[in-house]
Amino acid sequence: MAQSKIETIDAKTSTLTLALDIDLYPRDVLYAAAYVFLDRAYVLLDRDGQRFIVHVRGKQPLEEETLRAFAGEFENELLAQALRQKVFAANQRIIENVANLAIFGAVGSEADEEGEAAAGDEGTDLSGLHGADDDGMDFLNDPLGIAKPWETGKKGDE
Amino acid sequence: MSNATTASVKFHRDLYHEQAITEAAASFADFASFKVRSDGEHYVVDVADINPEVEGDVVAEFCNFALANSAMRLKNSET
Repeated sequence: MAQSKIETIDAKTSTLTLALDIDLYPRDVLYAAAYVFLDRAYVLLDRDGQRFIVHVRGKQPLEEETLRAFAGEFENELLAQALRQKVFAANQRIIENVANLAIFGAVGSEADEEGEAAAGDEGTDLSGLHGADDDGMDFLNDPLGIAKPWETGKKGDE
Repeated sequence: MSNATTASVKFHRDLYHEQAITEAAASFADFASFKVRSDGEHYVVDVADINPEVEGDVVAEFCNFALANSAMRLKNSET
């Protein structure tokens, strides 16, 4: 992998310096990757011509193997962030459209509810609606026997 | 990044926003004094009067804050 390179590594001070090709990793990708490591390391970014220089120092003492793993992890994070931003850019219109539909849908249903409530306040007669007539029966009454179980052996067949 | 009572840190202008640096300096004003100046392609921050009783590395934490603030500013400017 020629796109990044460990410039210095020092286990005594738990420090690591990486050099990255500026053409391969845009600034926002570098920020995003560095941000992920801020809880575990102190990160200082610099630029030297066409290279980004990343100075990393572990918040805890780190051995050389761990520092090398750290460098690999940083490179992986760079790739992940670059891919994430590419996917986001490709799908941005779709995401915006879905969000707009959700927002306008919510606003529309609220407006409908407000409209119905306003109609109710004006004294609209709802007595003609199906089921509005109350003949004094409740849901436990069963004059036609339709609530009996149809399976044999059940209590309703006896 | 050091544990001395004074330090000097260079932030490249392409990577760190001046406002982000001054905000980070304000966050750590209780633990040290900060002076920001321009020097070519860099902002140079002279850190002095670092409180030796503070646990952790004030300068290094300040650098992390400056980076986080710069990243957040870029993200907010894009949205």
